[in-house]
Amino acid sequence: MMDLKYTEILRLNNDLGNSLRGDRYCVTVLSNIITNQFNEIFEYVLRSEGINAAVTSGDYDNIVQDAIKYNKSDLVIIFWELANLIDGLQYKANLMDSESTEALISKVCSEIDFTISNLENASLVVFNKFSSIVFNHTNLRSNNFDVICNKLNNYLEQRKGNNFVLIDIEKIFAKISVTRSVDFRYYYSSKALYTIEFYKSYSQFIAPIIKSVKGKAKKALIFDCDNTLWKGILGEDGAEKIEISGKTKSGVVFEEVQNIALELSRKGVLIGLCSKNNPQDVDIILNEHPDMSIRNNNIGIKKVNWEDKATNLKAISTELNIGLDSLVFIDDSEFETGYIKDILPQVTVLKVPTNLYEYPQLIRSNHSLFFNVSQTREDDIKTEMYLQQAKRAEGKNAFNDIESYLSSLSLEVTVYQNVSDLIPRISQLTQKTNQFNLTTFRYTEADINSFITDGNTLVLAFDVKDKYGDSGITGVCIVNMEYENASADIDSMLMSCRVIGRNIEIAFFNFLINHLLNLGINELRAKYIKTFKNEQVNLFYDSLGFQCVNESNDFKDYVLQLNNYKRKEIDYIKINYGKEN
Amino acid sequence: MEKRIKNVMASVFNVEVSEINDDTSPDSLEHWDSLRHMHLITGLEEEFETTFTEDEIVEMLNYKLIYDTLKNKNL
Repeated sequence: MMDLKYTEILRLNNDLGNSLRGDRYCVTVLSNIITNQFNEIFEYVLRSEGINAAVTSGDYDNIVQDAIKYNKSDLVIIFWELANLIDGLQYKANLMDSESTEALISKVCSEIDFTISNLENASLVVFNKFSSIVFNHTNLRSNNFDVICNKLNNYLEQRKGNNFVLIDIEKIFAKISVTRSVDFRYYYSSKALYTIEFYKSYSQFIAPIIKSVKGKAKKALIFDCDNTLWKGILGEDGAEKIEISGKTKSGVVFEEVQNIALELSRKGVLIGLCSKNNPQDVDIILNEHPDMSIRNNNIGIKKVNWEDKATNLKAISTELNIGLDSLVFIDDSEFETGYIKDILPQVTVLKVPTNLYEYPQLIRSNHSLFFNVSQTREDDIKTEMYLQQAKRAEGKNAFNDIESYLSSLSLEVTVYQNVSDLIPRISQLTQKTNQFNLTTFRYTEADINSFITDGNTLVLAFDVKDKYGDSGITGVCIVNMEYENASADIDSMLMSCRVIGRNIEIAFFNFLINHLLNLGINELRAKYIKTFKNEQVNLFYDSLGFQCVNESNDFKDYVLQLNNYKRKEIDYIKINYGKEN
Repeated sequence: MEKRIKNVMASVFNVEVSEINDDTSPDSLEHWDSLRHMHLITGLEEEFETTFTEDEIVEMLNYKLIYDTLKNKNL
């Protein structure tokens, strides 16, 4: 993208705009400078990820008022240029006495407050932090312009809502230089400041936020072992010769790589292995080698064998119940990386650089592939949960039939209704769940919050426990209630892949139907909207006795008279009803 | 050079190359407003690897004038 000419972007963007289908993703840019050239570049970046984006600008220098006008947009981006808070602030600031400085700051702070409150219910807001760098990067001492900048940023940090992501645009200046970020030719005549190159870098920088919201973030980082987690070939050099830590010249790089992986793992990214090696040799290194940072319990899935890597990556995707496009695979071999790119183009493939010192930075520069807007407790314990899953899978082999296995798990489901503490996790599940998801509607925290408070919606979330551990909140069902008609409509029904295959969904529906009957509901409507990934729930409602009343290629509408519900008792799952907040 | 200029204009204003003639200007093209003019300048600067002065930018208000400006720069 960075090497495309501007006119090429305009042309490609236009073509994509004509061919993309699916829900519009509306982005509004609010700004006190002219930023129009950003719109089509950002549109192109999103459209090339398959997001049917439309980017428009609010009125020039009308941020506070437009914040109300556009608060229904899927995304609001705010370019609030420090130098144009008042005309010429970059020089006027340095002649201001402390009184007028304070007056200006308090005026802007109140504008920030208005903007934040006007955008309180907006789905997502990307807000660029103020910066004085463009005008002041050659000054040895800070001046009043810097002081104003810092105070406003501190205020912003304190006040920003949960739906806000603050962006350090100075990181973009750091990457491409201030000189290449701004073009003063248009600043004085038309109040346009930034260059095409800046807009391209900025678009790439913030794109992971939108990808995360649209369920396109990567979920697992899969390493080869030899020359990828350590220097050397275990099978040939032996455990004593491979270099893993700062004790050796090349090892230092691998120690850093392993620790970056651990950092990602703490943020909920699954670390896995896909390597041609003897499994017991690798286990010895993972368990016993004193220089390893990554240990066996940090690894969520292991495919260490002599099968080809495409087969192994496919198995990883199946066993973890995540799409191939959620995987990032790292290998040092030209052959293996080329092979996977060829056979499994959905997988993101990274090759260990020939210059080893570039390796940690390569992983770091791909960090944002895993970016997650809401960080939740479930992310922190994810590897643990995947490991429990592996244990459960082992347990499965010991039983002949699945029912007796499930009975042995002591499954327990707790359903929570409209609990505001769970909003971040519920929103995250709507954004990340692709397979067991009947409608795949994506919702932000602000959306969920408005459902919970509108009085006509049941936002049900459930957690699943068994004797191996707690999966955390792993299921969501959003039901729109029409009490006056004694009917209800299921807007969303989804379950994390971690709890699929245990008849949890049936036990949950047994609960749901009773719950709705108690609330005076007789008729329940539901729909299935087909995507590339949710084939497995195509017949879900049919299996529960819903009548399909309308069907096309992409969706099915269902209705169920509650007294016709085909109840299938699942006596081995205990259902609890958590209390309402 | 004619072709390269017209290609840039066609991309920026989202019209066919054949619709552009000597007199094509902000008056004859709906999309050619002051904001799009910036897009046009950016497109031409990238295409011809040059930088226009402020005076040139405000002058280049039809196809003929764009052509002459670029010609004068000996590109």
